[in-house]
Amino acid sequence: MVLASLVTLLFVNPEDSINAMMNAGADAVNLTIKLLGIYAVWLGIIALVDACGLSEKIAALLDPVIDWLFGKTDSNTKKYIALNMSANILGMGNACTPTGLKAMQGLDKQNNYSLTASTAMIMLIVINATSIQLIPTTIIGLRQQYGSMSSSDIILPTIISTLVSTVLGVILVKICAKIHKKREISRKNRENLPKKRENK
Amino acid sequence: MSASVFVTPVLIILLLIYCARKKVNCYGTFANGAKGAIQLCIDILPFLVTIFVAIQLFRISGLTNLTADLLAPVMDFIGIPKELTELMIIRPFSGSGSLALAEQIFSTYGADSYIARCASVIMGSSETIFYVATIYLSQTKAKRLIYAIPVALVATLVSSIIACQLCRIM
Repeated sequence: MVLASLVTLLFVNPEDSINAMMNAGADAVNLTIKLLGIYAVWLGIIALVDACGLSEKIAALLDPVIDWLFGKTDSNTKKYIALNMSANILGMGNACTPTGLKAMQGLDKQNNYSLTASTAMIMLIVINATSIQLIPTTIIGLRQQYGSMSSSDIILPTIISTLVSTVLGVILVKICAKIHKKREISRKNRENLPKKRENK
Repeated sequence: MSASVFVTPVLIILLLIYCARKKVNCYGTFANGAKGAIQLCIDILPFLVTIFVAIQLFRISGLTNLTADLLAPVMDFIGIPKELTELMIIRPFSGSGSLALAEQIFSTYGADSYIARCASVIMGSSETIFYVATIYLSQTKAKRLIYAIPVALVATLVSSIIACQLCRIM
């Protein structure tokens, strides 16, 4: 994608390409600094949730769902997954990322730091990438700003459509995981067969 | 002002009361948790720079417009207004970029038009997929995602099609 863009730029307007790259870099730094503040506040709040024992309670509440979605996980990771999901549902977008990242670290450890992401890791990414935000506050505000007469009439369609995307995402991950597993097993079998013959 | 504005502050107040009852050292715990943000951002930064550069190049090279033109008939066929093609392409990559496009749509077609309502629902029900994947992977040794991104893209596309149909009837 980068290569294709650069080649096109060479023809369209070459002097802009370096500028654009530098600006994008600066934008990324600006965003990171903004995120640093946001994450610091949320991680502080999460530390409080953790310290008073609430996160265990939330985890226990969501336990059956998490077990079904992510398979076996240790209690610490489970806690962060539970927090991540509740932040998602409550529409606290900025609280999702730090909890999600902590959960990711735990899942990575369980995956023995393998290069290929585990099903649970993929599940977490897909759930967060399909968004389960219930009330799209930014968009409603924007519509009001542009003189909408009923800025919140999109809430219901949004909820339905976001549920569809998340549920579909979860189902697709489950199906893909099964197909992937089958392929891995048949590949391993193929690799193992000759060895077994040699042993005999 | 809707009720949703109150959700987060009320939850935080309840949390503080609960902490006080459990006699947790709020100040120290909060500060200690916040410290973690520094390492988090250091880990994220290089990946953000990379994806930002890629997106920026993709946009200013005009390739987005080109792809949008190519995809417009397909979009029309599956029931998404072709005016929304560019939004659909930018949405998985950039939150601020797609928000700017949505604003443009609002001002061109009016905030209550069918197209603007479709754009709103699509914006509200989707996420910046590549950005989420990038940030989440920045924390792990795992770099191969296998089917994660296609699955998220397909799910989002299907929900967008449904969103446009819903906007027609609701």
